[in-house]
Amino acid sequence: MAMTPDAAVRKRFEDRADVQLRKRHLPLIIGRATDTREARRRDIFAELDLPGLRNAAEAVRAHTVANLHTYLDRFAERAEARGTKVFFAATAEEAVSYVRTLAAKRGARLIAKAKSMASEEIHLSPALEADGIEVVETDLGEYIVQLAKEPPSHIIAPAVHKSRTEIARLLAAHHGRSLPDDPEVLTAFAREVLRRTFLEADIGISGVNFGVAETGSLALVTNEGNGRMVTSLPPVHVAIMGMERIVPSFEELSLLLPMLVASATGRPVSTYFSFINGPRLPDEVDGPEEVHVVVLDNGRSKILGTEYQSILHCIRCGACQNVCPVYRQVGGHGYGAVYGGPIGAVLTPLLVGFEKAGDLPHASSLCGACTEVCPVKIPLHEQLLALRRDVAREQKPVVEGLAFRAWSTAWRRPWGYRLLARLARAGQGMFVRGGRIRKAPPPLSRWTNRRDLPPVARRTFRERWKDR
Amino acid sequence: MERAAFLERVRERLSGVGGFDLPSVVPLTPASGNGLPPVERFPIELAKSGGLARVVPRARLAEAVAEVLGELPSGRRVVVAADVEPYRAEVDAGLEAAAAEVVRPPREEWRAEAATADWGLTSARLGVASTGSLLIVPGPETPRVASLLPPAHLVILPVEHLVPGLEQVMPVLTSLADASSAPVLITGASRTSDIEMTTVMGVHGPKVLRVLLVE
Ligand code: SF4
Repeated sequence: MAMTPDAAVRKRFEDRADVQLRKRHLPLIIGRATDTREARRRDIFAELDLPGLRNAAEAVRAHTVANLHTYLDRFAERAEARGTKVFFAATAEEAVSYVRTLAAKRGARLIAKAKSMASEEIHLSPALEADGIEVVETDLGEYIVQLAKEPPSHIIAPAVHKSRTEIARLLAAHHGRSLPDDPEVLTAFAREVLRRTFLEADIGISGVNFGVAETGSLALVTNEGNGRMVTSLPPVHVAIMGMERIVPSFEELSLLLPMLVASATGRPVSTYFSFINGPRLPDEVDGPEEVHVVVLDNGRSKILGTEYQSILHCIRCGACQNVCPVYRQVGGHGYGAVYGGPIGAVLTPLLVGFEKAGDLPHASSLCGACTEVCPVKIPLHEQLLALRRDVAREQKPVVEGLAFRAWSTAWRRPWGYRLLARLARAGQGMFVRGGRIRKAPPPLSRWTNRRDLPPVARRTFRERWKDR
Repeated sequence: MERAAFLERVRERLSGVGGFDLPSVVPLTPASGNGLPPVERFPIELAKSGGLARVVPRARLAEAVAEVLGELPSGRRVVVAADVEPYRAEVDAGLEAAAAEVVRPPREEWRAEAATADWGLTSARLGVASTGSLLIVPGPETPRVASLLPPAHLVILPVEHLVPGLEQVMPVLTSLADASSAPVLITGASRTSDIEMTTVMGVHGPKVLRVLLVE
């Protein structure tokens, strides 16, 4: 990776946003991609009882997280009975060192990795690479951003910020040949080079979408098939699982799997739902000899029992990113952290601390669109607001700075002005209902809390702001 | 960290939190069955995910196998999993009519053979009508690679194995927890939209999926 994770987090949102906003094509690409996903999401739920589904999904997640110790215990019990090794990692360091030790013991030289936000979060790949191991991302989008030496920009679509021409140039440069900017050809080429990785890898690393407590199973959701590859072909499979990623039994998955996939992509299911019950059984033809699950705390338990507990209900669908006017303008990299968009703006400061990421809750217009789409009903914008308050309380010396860093000074700074200008043109629609603005971003919300605003004309948006 | 200490920390933080019950009713999801008979719905839904299914009477199965292989310009090297043995006569006749090269690899050669084959031929435990999904259960007779490595996958599935929706799969998955290391629900062709949201089939898994529903 080009930048050390901590440095990336420390760099303020505003600097990063400024860089991102200078890339003029970025909002266009991300806007198109996120629009499509959001439209499909709305379509698939149109005929269904979406409020009822969200209530049920919220109930499942709230129940599981409130009883997490019980379910985690059962999960570990059952997984171990079936031959899976379960390691409980309190910190990122513990998790990383477990995998490094395992890799050394196996004499691993090549690792095939399927998309995993949790492994990004603990910066696993750089640590393994420092040990001289080649780590290859096998999700096409992740592979592309790995070649570009960039972090992923979206939970579901990591390379959403790259144009096909950029991707063609990248693959061509890396493999020393020329390639057309045709997605079909580029994908076929990637299939060929990554197939060798799957077959030769010593270890496969994946994330986990859900851990099933009743049976100790792992559920993995992919469309490309790389999840199946990395968990089937190498002799060792290591799964990194955030400790909250549990469901009581398979029964709940008939609700949560479609909620996840439909909210993410607008399809009812993804191409592959892999259910990993453990290492290869004696009479089976293939499958890994060893399966390891690393259960990761890394700051999560601190969130339990607080008003932010429900952020651990998140099923990582990315829907909140697709509708977020700020995310749509600056992309995932603007957040300088693994989790971007509303989910990241809440989760990151809670995981890494206010000192490093206390400015992220300000990367929001508090328009509430994220809360409206979240399939497990996390009150994202309320948590963002509460976080601003908590950050201000904890960091007295920067209180003023933070207050000014919000919308009131945004337009004085180049990045803020550009962002506001973009929001005025592209994002205003978000707040307009029936020809009136009913829910405006702060500070206008002080006004709209009591009455509706007429929509502002594009040109005068900034003036209105100033005249307030 | 020790499991006990790890869990104790979680328990402590959660003390005083509680009172959340699992939902008693769950509305229909995007993957639930509707009124349509499974045998009608399965092909419709599978087509949306880039796969093709059709219903054939057993008497015409051999013919159908030959037709499917003939429809594509791809090669004709076919690895055959043992779970289609109940249809051995029809499968062999069909593959012969298509002038296919048939491989039934011994255990230790499955991976290498599947990696170079043009087609993988397997059965499935279940078909899910609401989504066009197939539940493939690896085991002594069905290697994982048969449905994973070849660029094309042909599935022969008795219509009795169709269920209306995803809800009906879950009890089966529970019962398989100790019986198979990695059941998988496959829906259509491997796909990606990672390059400018353009959908491309066959990125890592099979690009082609054909299902023959046998009556
Ligand atoms: S917070 Fe909600 S909408 Fe955002 S990724 Fe998580 S589950 Fe999806």
